Amino acid sequence: MAPQSEKAASFVKNVQARTNRQHALSFASCVHCGTCNDSCHYFLATGDPKMTPAAKMDTLRRIYKRQHDWIGKVIPPWVGAGLPQTDADLEALKDVFFGSCTGCRRCTVNCPFGVDTAILVGLARSCLVDEGVAPEGVLSVMKDQWETGNQMAITQQDYLETLEWIEEELQAELEDDTVRIPVDKQDADFVYVVNPREIKYSPMSLSAAAKIFHVAGLNWTMGSEGWDNTNFGLFSGKPDLGGHMANLAYNHAKKIGAKQMVISECGHGLRSTKWEGPNWGKANPLPFEIISMLELMVDLINEGKIILDPKKNPRPVTYHDPCNLSRSAGITEEPRFCLKRACSDFREMTPNRADSFCCTGGGGAMSMAEYAKKRLSVSKPKADQIIKTGAAIVATACHNCADGLTDLIKEHGIKAVQADGKEKLLPVLNVCELVADAIVIPKELKKGPRRPRPETKGKKVLVVDDSPDIVKYLTTLLGDNEYKTVVAHSGSQALSMARAEMPDLITLDIVMPGKSGVQVYEQLRSDPALQNIPVFIVTGEVNFRELMYQKRVQAPEGFMKKPIDEDVFLMTVDKILDAKVRRSAN
Amino acid sequence: MGNPIEWSSLDSTTRLLMNQLHYGALGFMVLAYTVKIWQLLKKPAAGEGTPARGNHTDAIRYAYKTLAMPWEIESQKNNMFRYLEFVVFHIAMAVGIGWAFMTPILTTTMAAPAVAYPAMGIFALGALIGLSRLLRRLFKADMRAISSPDDYFCLVLLTLWMVSGTLAAPLNNALFITAYFGLATFFLVYVPFSKISHYVYYPFIRFYVGKHFGHRGVFPKKGTIQ
Repeated sequence: MAPQSEKAASFVKNVQARTNRQHALSFASCVHCGTCNDSCHYFLATGDPKMTPAAKMDTLRRIYKRQHDWIGKVIPPWVGAGLPQTDADLEALKDVFFGSCTGCRRCTVNCPFGVDTAILVGLARSCLVDEGVAPEGVLSVMKDQWETGNQMAITQQDYLETLEWIEEELQAELEDDTVRIPVDKQDADFVYVVNPREIKYSPMSLSAAAKIFHVAGLNWTMGSEGWDNTNFGLFSGKPDLGGHMANLAYNHAKKIGAKQMVISECGHGLRSTKWEGPNWGKANPLPFEIISMLELMVDLINEGKIILDPKKNPRPVTYHDPCNLSRSAGITEEPRFCLKRACSDFREMTPNRADSFCCTGGGGAMSMAEYAKKRLSVSKPKADQIIKTGAAIVATACHNCADGLTDLIKEHGIKAVQADGKEKLLPVLNVCELVADAIVIPKELKKGPRRPRPETKGKKVLVVDDSPDIVKYLTTLLGDNEYKTVVAHSGSQALSMARAEMPDLITLDIVMPGKSGVQVYEQLRSDPALQNIPVFIVTGEVNFRELMYQKRVQAPEGFMKKPIDEDVFLMTVDKILDAKVRRSAN
Repeated sequence: MGNPIEWSSLDSTTRLLMNQLHYGALGFMVLAYTVKIWQLLKKPAAGEGTPARGNHTDAIRYAYKTLAMPWEIESQKNNMFRYLEFVVFHIAMAVGIGWAFMTPILTTTMAAPAVAYPAMGIFALGALIGLSRLLRRLFKADMRAISSPDDYFCLVLLTLWMVSGTLAAPLNNALFITAYFGLATFFLVYVPFSKISHYVYYPFIRFYVGKHFGHRGVFPKKGTIQ
């Protein structure tokens, strides 16, 4: 039967038009042998027969069979052929292709044929996006990338100020005023492109990379534009966006004469910028090579430009292979090379490399808040892998995986004794952070206790949390670091305190009785008197991402998940206040 | 075992089935596969313009060999019994097809116990595996969820074909011989319309899988599954 809705008809037409030879082979070759079942974390975790790769892909394959299979054209039910009829059918496809598959390709490498689930997922997503049938967060991020050139709509001012802030932090840490994070330096040996998460919420990895580059004496730069290595053209299956984002990076690199492009630790970023982008953007051949930060670190270690002392990382470390690196970019040995030299006790997960389980982060799945619960519900295979290693730290070379792993570690309560002797949830670190911690700096410097900059010293922070323990912890921590604090124990109190005290920064919990942190946040942003107060969300609630990615309101200035990492918390407070001071000065 | 049947004692319908119809069905199958491959190759292939990280040739060779290297693929390594089932079943299919074409030409040889008994053995194994797969598909929820009528029908057809082969292999019963060649002829005509035609796509998909993953340095796989 032909589709009854306009959208469904359009979707079917686009599937037909965009099916290439590789898609056709993946559609036609599946013999329903069930071999892929044991490869898929969605099926292994749930036992739901609808969650096997073959069952999921059959929801799209039936369209191909209806259009191309000889029996499928004449007796469709005989081969399971059919077409989506209604808009509700498209919504069901959205739940499969956005909500039930991360495109990790674990099934593909285990399929006797090699049915490529990831390209079928890309095909379905691109056709669904064209009908506007996609998670709100995905559409929002796509819009931001089109309009601002980065997936978190970070302004150039925010970006450059963050780089300056990191530069100053590193100068203080290394007691070396020559530390630089150059921007648009002409004819640098390489331009470093990052994941916006490193600018907005997690500057530690960028700081670690800059430290490595400084110690190695490299001639490098970042770009004032085209600096986002992520590409929602990959996640959404849309090659036009893919080409646009890729070309932003390539064009700026060419403009400043960079001889090489180094992609920070982001699986999605490396795959989209190095492997897919040149095809989407019709940019072949590029005048420079694109490599991963991991490959660069291997070279630096081999050339003796950085010396590592593994005793500086004594806790047992395991490594999670990001899908986009291990199964789509061939990068498996480089992170191991680095970690074995940076850490005293490196432990493999089993299975690993191209057989490692997906972290459930899905190269962009964090943007889909509506599927967060489902994502966590299928994270047990990965959790079991981590637990078996007995590691105290999980290393990974992907920011998306870092978020995915942090969520599942919390979900499954995976703890180990950390350096302070306390049992805590496992931290997830990028490889470069561990390498930077292990670096033997020629002039050995003791890292001094953190002190706020003079400009941010004495600023007032409103701490909002219903937990007396958290309030006491944060006020003590902030007080020890020479900030003034005021406190609110509920959402209602938060708003009245904000009006009364006009703090320089608000740290805000989300899950509170009565008025929730989300409601408080929305009201803060809509009140002209309060909307310019920076807000730093500190929460254990994963679903706050819904607010961030769906962009009903302006994104917060900071976001971190509980349990609170003291260094990260203080670094973020300082960064936000420093940015505010700079803006006031300008 | 009994004496092999005299070919001249077979009725004209059976002889027509074993010869003209059988070869006609083969010709139809070849034509149908040619059209399928032509339709596939009409579709544009996604290009790869970036410099390769790995070696295409090594990777394509690896992609073709993995079927014979169960230790390389987790799904095979962790299910060795099912892997052996798969190997034996496909050997039985190949023997069945070969037997159907060799028997009318080399009847005496094929009827000899040294040939007939092993053929019976492999056909019987093929039938048992076919039945086991059918039961698995019927009674396991995850297999039922991905099974269409064609999936079940192919297994029934092939299992019956193997049963008839077990009984026909001694070449001493006209009924079993007729049944075997009837099913073989039907099989040759039906296969291009069914999922059994998967083996036609195999060389193409493995080529592209090898090329794609080899280009990115993913194949041949590094390290071992521990």
